[in-house]
Amino acid sequence: MSLNTPKHAVEFDRVSKLFATGLLGRRRLCALDDVSLKIAEGEVFGLIGPNRAGKTTLVKILLSISRPTSGRITRLGRDWRERSTLGSVGYVHESQAFPRYLTARQLLQYYGALSLQPAAVTRRRSTELLERVGIADRSHEPIGQFSKGMLQRLSLAQALLNDPSLLVLDEPSEGMDLAARRLLHTIIEERRRLGHTAILVSHQLSDVERLCDRVAVLRGGKMAFVGPVAKLATGLSDSERKAAIAPNPQFEDALEPFYAGAGAQ
Amino acid sequence: MQNKQIFAALIRDTFRQSLSYGIFWILLAVSVLTTAVCLTVHIDGAARLAAPGENADFLPKSDPDAQDSAKMKESGVVAVSGNLSLAFGAIKIPLERDSRTSVHFLQLVLAGGVADTLGLLLTLIWTAGFLPGFLEGRSLSVLLAKPVSRWQLLAGKYLGVLSFVLLHATLFVGGTWLAIAVKTGIWDASYLYAIPLLLLHFAVFFSVSLLLAVCTRSTVVSVFGSILFWCIAWGMNYGRHFMVTCERLAPEGTFSGSLSWLVDIGYWILPKPADFGMLLYDALDAKNFFGPAFDPQLLHAHGFSIWLSVLSSLAFTAYVLFASARKFMATDY
Repeated sequence: MSLNTPKHAVEFDRVSKLFATGLLGRRRLCALDDVSLKIAEGEVFGLIGPNRAGKTTLVKILLSISRPTSGRITRLGRDWRERSTLGSVGYVHESQAFPRYLTARQLLQYYGALSLQPAAVTRRRSTELLERVGIADRSHEPIGQFSKGMLQRLSLAQALLNDPSLLVLDEPSEGMDLAARRLLHTIIEERRRLGHTAILVSHQLSDVERLCDRVAVLRGGKMAFVGPVAKLATGLSDSERKAAIAPNPQFEDALEPFYAGAGAQ
Repeated sequence: MQNKQIFAALIRDTFRQSLSYGIFWILLAVSVLTTAVCLTVHIDGAARLAAPGENADFLPKSDPDAQDSAKMKESGVVAVSGNLSLAFGAIKIPLERDSRTSVHFLQLVLAGGVADTLGLLLTLIWTAGFLPGFLEGRSLSVLLAKPVSRWQLLAGKYLGVLSFVLLHATLFVGGTWLAIAVKTGIWDASYLYAIPLLLLHFAVFFSVSLLLAVCTRSTVVSVFGSILFWCIAWGMNYGRHFMVTCERLAPEGTFSGSLSWLVDIGYWILPKPADFGMLLYDALDAKNFFGPAFDPQLLHAHGFSIWLSVLSSLAFTAYVLFASARKFMATDY
């Protein structure tokens, strides 16, 4: 192996995900179809595609929240089943709901404990991060009183609590004001400078084009494009580009029940 | 060490959840109120009519024979007089024997009637929302992306609810015990057995609530399902003892063999709330106050053992917890 071969933070090798549908669950719906993808360490990687293209399913499989039907996944060099690597992962959920009865500080202490981080480190990091995301003055108020923008800032803080080697951001700028988006961009740039990996799942092409080294386009559960961002912007014809990110209503409608309410089975 | 940190965080979270739902304060208010009522207890009458082991003849004052003073004097039997009063005399209970026995009776009512039946069912209802709230998809996803096993999350939450119930059972039983003891000078520690027994009874039925929450993530299903299950288990338990008693009393056979067999199977599989009541009855030495619902000798002759009953209930709980963990670990969120 060459010394120049980049190490991969994430590898998907022919990953498929089938959901059981129908009254008896005998019919199968393919949410991810033979997806292969490698993300290098230190890379900022964009994942785009229309609604219900399979982006969140891919992220959930990467984070062991869902299981793949077939295929091989490695996370930070280890098999996806090995949960210890999750201690080096930060995650911002696309529509995060935190326990409304906790304050921001209590939430960070709770999540820090579940990240197996020493309490003293969590306390120090919490203070820094609450300051950093601009909600330190409201850190003792119940989360139930927070606006959507504040929740997104808190979500960002909890994802950074364990100083992760791999940061997964699923639609992080939803509901964020301009200042918060600028903060998000700064944080991603910082992660890149530190040699940490970030995966940005977004509808916002502008965010992806500005921040990411490479981008993948998922459409109908299949990988429609993987390559440098520049190629997405310039290397594809208008029609190819539109086709790559255009919605696929039939597929999306069929997947709707798995994303709404009860969760995927 | 890691387990300790994880469980401590989940237990703390459960207490915060109970504070925000108001359940903590409701249960605390019930304990404080009951303890306050117990602080008004007053007894006038003999503290003890005989030392333990001694045989003493007595009759309650209300007994017709006790009205005949000449006969009483001649026989040497003591007529018990006096009352146990609560709420500054608003409730008066005539003494059936001596003040120690009356205090014991009051403790039995509090442990068996208030805590083990009414309290247990209300606590099952109130805590049934804890797990569905915790398992809500959008808040759970981030927890599932932590380096903690799913079984640890579930076990931590289960332990959190049990810790919550243990605290409130201790406050209720401990508070009322202390109040009664301070006011009457009777320190009957057998009442404190009610704390672990209440927790055990709750732990068995909360496991069903946990399974329902993992399968459906619905508070309504968890609430009604666990109460319905308690009723079914109680009916099966009571029904089986009833059948055994009837069969012993009328050996020619009141029930068909297959029905008896089915009820027997159901009895041994399901947890046994009526038997938990019997265990509490034995631990608190209630035989002088309430006749047992079923003749223990008849039940023993049919293979009944309170410890086997408790063990089989615990085996059921272990299986349900295992099934819940398996389901939770296999579910995509």
